[in-house]
Amino acid sequence: MIKLSGVTKIYSTGTPAVRNLNLHIGAGDFVSIVGQSGTGKTTLVKMLIAEERPNKGTIEIGDTDITKISSSDIPYLRRQIGVVFQDYKLLPKRTVYENVAFALEVAGEKRDRIHQVVPQVLEIVNLSHKASSYPPQLSGGEQQRTAIARSLVHRPKIMIADEPTGNLDSINTEEIISILKKINEFGTTIILVTHNREVVNHLRRRVVTMHGGEIISDEHDGKYKL
Amino acid sequence: MLSFFRVLKFALQDLWRNISLSFMTVFILILMLLSVNTLWSLDVLTKQAVEAVKKQIDVSIYFVPEATEKNVTEIKNYVMLFPEVTDVRVQTKEQVLADFREKHKNQKEALEALDELGANPFGPTMIIKTKEPKDYKKIIDALNVPEYESIIEAKSFDNHEEAITRLQNITNRIERVGFGLTILFALISFLIIFNTIRVAIATQKVEIGIKRLVGASNWFIRGPYLVESVIFTIISVSCTIGLVYLALRWIDPYLAVILPNGFSLTNYFYSNMLMLFGAQALAVLLLTVLSSLLAMRKQLKV
Repeated sequence: MIKLSGVTKIYSTGTPAVRNLNLHIGAGDFVSIVGQSGTGKTTLVKMLIAEERPNKGTIEIGDTDITKISSSDIPYLRRQIGVVFQDYKLLPKRTVYENVAFALEVAGEKRDRIHQVVPQVLEIVNLSHKASSYPPQLSGGEQQRTAIARSLVHRPKIMIADEPTGNLDSINTEEIISILKKINEFGTTIILVTHNREVVNHLRRRVVTMHGGEIISDEHDGKYKL
Repeated sequence: MLSFFRVLKFALQDLWRNISLSFMTVFILILMLLSVNTLWSLDVLTKQAVEAVKKQIDVSIYFVPEATEKNVTEIKNYVMLFPEVTDVRVQTKEQVLADFREKHKNQKEALEALDELGANPFGPTMIIKTKEPKDYKKIIDALNVPEYESIIEAKSFDNHEEAITRLQNITNRIERVGFGLTILFALISFLIIFNTIRVAIATQKVEIGIKRLVGASNWFIRGPYLVESVIFTIISVSCTIGLVYLALRWIDPYLAVILPNGFSLTNYFYSNMLMLFGAQALAVLLLTVLSSLLAMRKQLKV
């Protein structure tokens, strides 16, 4: 499903962010990528959604090497990958419903389909009752659930969650992780980037540990080591 | 078509949800257009005033009382050969006398002196108008020949020469200053509008980033701003037309007093409306679209 081969990214400042990454993630996997700040986790996420391009190596998603796709194809790639961030990245002047619908609107989906899909995903994340609220009116957990709902509208085969619980308390963290597990049960590959020890240890899934821009361990049924 | 309507919807939503910024942008555009229209009105008025003064200037050729009709006709035909001459009017000696009497009807001494003479002391008068005041010198020079010396008593142009030269200088200077001011103002307006739109887009930098992340194409991100530019143009030009119309209606009665030839800025506005506001709308549209594209270039880097 996802295959990184010899991926190296050096920023224009000369700082190497990641070096010679080799990683294979299969369909339906739930992988936690852990490591301290500045180890290249976010750079890896950015490369997976083609926000950054590696200096060396290839990143294959399905049959496509995304390091070679044109700028005009990037939006189509992003519609196939659900992404959730620590800071939620919601449009503050659009309601919960509009934020979720926006991802479908920009993909050219018809109105009937939007009216059908948006309530469904809002129900999955238990936010139907907040559909007409604006992001600033929501709690952190609700905002993150909105972001997850938005990432689900295209029924992505891959979902990347970059520190999704970083701003949340333990109750909301548990709720978000259980939603991610539920999504994974439907067959979606989950890549969870985190440095939350409890979450990783509780999950008991595959753990990839990064340090200094390199992968230092990759264990199935792993634990948080650092 | 579906995506166009969505872009239109996003544009209207953005306009409404950033209403204060939208208002500021339109307000600055209106100020710029009003300034351009003020300069335009001043230019039109200056030209009209100069034309009015020019029309009042002519050259009068005073013939000796003994000059015959044949002499006058010969000179008239000669003068009319000049392409610069637009009008030649001849007053017979009888008309000149009648005019004198009419003009001095309240000056008893003048009329008594005239009666004492017993005969008409005036000769015919020829009034010549040319396209430009500078052409009068050429006509005068052409009449300063020995064969006409005995029948032309005087020429009145000398009195106007200095005034005409001064008027020419003033007109040229006003045109130069007006042109310079227009260029300067257009430049300042461009910078203000460019920065206003850049600020508007910069405040939405985060939103643009989010739109990109959820898979919006560049058209979906850029489109609403371009539609907003069109809406800003339509609103600002429409408001300016209304304000300029009201201002001209208010000014016109005062102009009627200053410009005796019945010139009306409102009528001028009507007859040149399409050209004037079409050009302004096009310029504002170019300005706003160009500013949007330049400001977004950085934000749209994938």
